Amino acid sequence: MNPEPAGHRTSPRIVLVHTITFRQARQFVPAVIPIAAATGFGGGARTIVALVVGVTLLSLLTAALSWWRFSYADGPTAVVVTRGLLSRSVRTVPNDRIRGVEIEAPPLHRLFGLVRVRVDAAAGAAGKDEEVVIDGVPRAEGERLRPAVLSHRGSPSAVSTADGATTEPDEEVVSRFDPRWLLYAPLVGSYLAVPLAAVGALFRLADELPESLRPDLDGPDLSDGRLLAVAFLVGLLLLAVGAVLGAAVVNWGFRLVRRGGSLIATRGLLTRRHTELEIDRIRGCTVSEGLGMRWVRAARVSALVTGLGDAARRGQLLPLGPRAEAWSLARRLAEDPGPLARHPSAARRRRMVRAVAAGLVVSAAGVVLGALTGSWWLLVVGAVLTLLGVPLGLGRYAALGHATGPGSFTVRSGWLVREQAILQRRAVVGWRVRQSFFQRRQGLATVTACVGAGSGGYTALDMAAGDVAGFALAASERWAGSFTR
Amino acid sequence: MVAMTTAPPPVREPAWALSRSAISYWLAEGIVESLFLGLGAAAFLLFVPAADGTPLPVLRWLVPIAVGLYAVVAIGIRPRLRHRVHRWEVTGDAVYTVTGWLSRTWTLVPISRIQTVDVTRGALQQLFGLASVAVLTASSQGTVRVPHLETDIAHRVADDLAHRAEQVRDQAT
Repeated sequence: MNPEPAGHRTSPRIVLVHTITFRQARQFVPAVIPIAAATGFGGGARTIVALVVGVTLLSLLTAALSWWRFSYADGPTAVVVTRGLLSRSVRTVPNDRIRGVEIEAPPLHRLFGLVRVRVDAAAGAAGKDEEVVIDGVPRAEGERLRPAVLSHRGSPSAVSTADGATTEPDEEVVSRFDPRWLLYAPLVGSYLAVPLAAVGALFRLADELPESLRPDLDGPDLSDGRLLAVAFLVGLLLLAVGAVLGAAVVNWGFRLVRRGGSLIATRGLLTRRHTELEIDRIRGCTVSEGLGMRWVRAARVSALVTGLGDAARRGQLLPLGPRAEAWSLARRLAEDPGPLARHPSAARRRRMVRAVAAGLVVSAAGVVLGALTGSWWLLVVGAVLTLLGVPLGLGRYAALGHATGPGSFTVRSGWLVREQAILQRRAVVGWRVRQSFFQRRQGLATVTACVGAGSGGYTALDMAAGDVAGFALAASERWAGSFTR
Repeated sequence: MVAMTTAPPPVREPAWALSRSAISYWLAEGIVESLFLGLGAAAFLLFVPAADGTPLPVLRWLVPIAVGLYAVVAIGIRPRLRHRVHRWEVTGDAVYTVTGWLSRTWTLVPISRIQTVDVTRGALQQLFGLASVAVLTASSQGTVRVPHLETDIAHRVADDLAHRAEQVRDQAT
């Protein structure tokens, strides 16, 4: 390790990266625009050149200043980061509060051989502030920092020896991304959103272009049905291709490796990300399957890690893959508690009532409207909504289930995205049982296992009221006996 | 109230009731809420003219009735029902509460997973000599709140819990 934990500097090459990306200068943009607008763009080419040069110089200056004022130190007890142009800020993160280290290499960083190191020190509540970012160290220094910072608190992960060489503990590839899995992407909501967002941004840009620069296009002829159908199909195809490309950019070369006491996930086509999760802090996982994913038997897996900031992204262990692969991964994180127990038929009634209620209300309003004015369209809408509610209610009921095993338990719910959480017994830090007025009459109760990881609680909806105490006792430790004693 | 006896509760009831002053607190709360709603309804009747052909004439009847019903429930029924439902207990290894009035919530948190214990005394609570205890864990959803205990009891409970949590504390996550 470092004998003197005095400040290290980031690589000076980061100044170039930040100059190009206007990282620091970006905050001046709101101030510069009105000034530029006031002086006017009337000067033609010369003004624009002057503006570009000026902005670049400003960017270079701010980047250099913030590089000059930034230093970090990984001492034996804490990581200290000092920064700030005028007001100095010193942030000290005790080593035992560090939950994980992430190394990412955006394309420009890769060009200069640099990486960005994120030290995650979230404490229960997830907040961006809890993160320390050391931007722009050489790749080798990043590789040194990660085990160095983690090993200080006595974690069993890679340990550096005195001469700086690392003794590599056993390494095992847990899962590897098969590029064919990218074909699932068009059926996943979040990847579909990527091309849609791109199209939206394009339209906004086109709107903001000055009139003279806009290409003069005739509006398409909408009268031809065949043309419309072809356009629709092409659009659909482009959407699918966009989703696959989006998924490829994020997940390319995904690899999950177990090294010592950590799971390390690496992924990304342009920006390589390197996330390290401590196995000791993993409390279980979720297997989620969207509506479209269920159709092709695909799923995704996220680890539930205590005190992990930005858990939705960092916890991902299998971004997209076949269900069988997802389950074999899930079983490594928490033992399989066995087949799910169905919830009582009162739960099905309850889901159905909720699913068709909106349709029935609209139908009732439709009857009133029809009787008063003689137009029945609202009643038709209500009837359609009610009919659509039937499969929705049945689907929501079919998703419900819970099970307990010797060392773990599981709950499942959701229809648009069906999520099954498999949790270790020790994960539970509390129980919450809710019973509404109607649930009381139907002998149902909703049970939430409070967990210090993931979304904070995992819920078994509409369980038979008589099963609650037994489930809680089987799914957590001895203290849950307070429910019956 | 008939429905309350149709099925046994899913889990047992904690042993201890809240302070009787909690009823007075909730009563005061209900009166204040009803007063504000009443002022709102009066303002509605005064400043919104009744125009024919709109639903406004109906609303002029409905709004005061709704406010009146709310006042009856909030003052006459809710405080006592709440006091009947709310219970709490500190067992050998857990904190256990039930809260609510129409729907109920039972919360159980083991002392070994307690992270912080807060005692709060709101302005209205101080009038009645009450304080609330909140027991926080690593989970955002795993928070036990014991509302409206007598102040000295609240402080004793909080001190006791904090002390015991320190002794049995494992990783707490």
